[in-house]
Amino acid sequence: MIWIGVVLFVLAWIFLLFGMIAVFRLKNIYERIISATTIDTVAALLVIFALFFFVPSFAFAIRLILLILFLFITNPISSHVNIRSAFLTGISTEKEGEEQHD
Amino acid sequence: MQFLEYTLILLAVMMAVAFVRLAIGPTIWDRILMLNLISIKVILFVVIYAILNENLLLLDIALSYGIIGFLTMTLLAKFIMTGGREK
Repeated sequence: MIWIGVVLFVLAWIFLLFGMIAVFRLKNIYERIISATTIDTVAALLVIFALFFFVPSFAFAIRLILLILFLFITNPISSHVNIRSAFLTGISTEKEGEEQHD
Repeated sequence: MQFLEYTLILLAVMMAVAFVRLAIGPTIWDRILMLNLISIKVILFVVIYAILNENLLLLDIALSYGIIGFLTMTLLAKFIMTGGREK
């Protein structure tokens, strides 16, 4: 059964690497926020799901389920509040290389 | 089979790289985003360390750290959005 956890760990490494590459490669701030937060949420969920195959007792599993619920609720809210703050303060949604159309 | 230790090392490297982006970020929302990512990675680090050492109390610490990180992000974004004034 432990190979399922190993496969999930390898998937989580890939997601962590691509999330950090996306932060450095993308030019627009909205693209950065969307890609980084979604990819990082998936990586966190994969790591915690993989840890279910390594837990020593049942009390650990309950805390891990609570963490999964918490991360699933609060991470999209955090990214939404960040994007709303940037949009209402007046950051343009156009890409930097393109011209703005009136 | 030391996948937990390898994940700890990768998370530490990712936190260092995210700190570089936090230092050079052009706008303030980049820095808030990087705080969010570092907070998630710290939660994962503490959880994996707790499973590795079979310490039950560290998982509660990870939960409360997540609550504090979420509150920090939302309140900072709202503070910047209103410009420090009450609305």
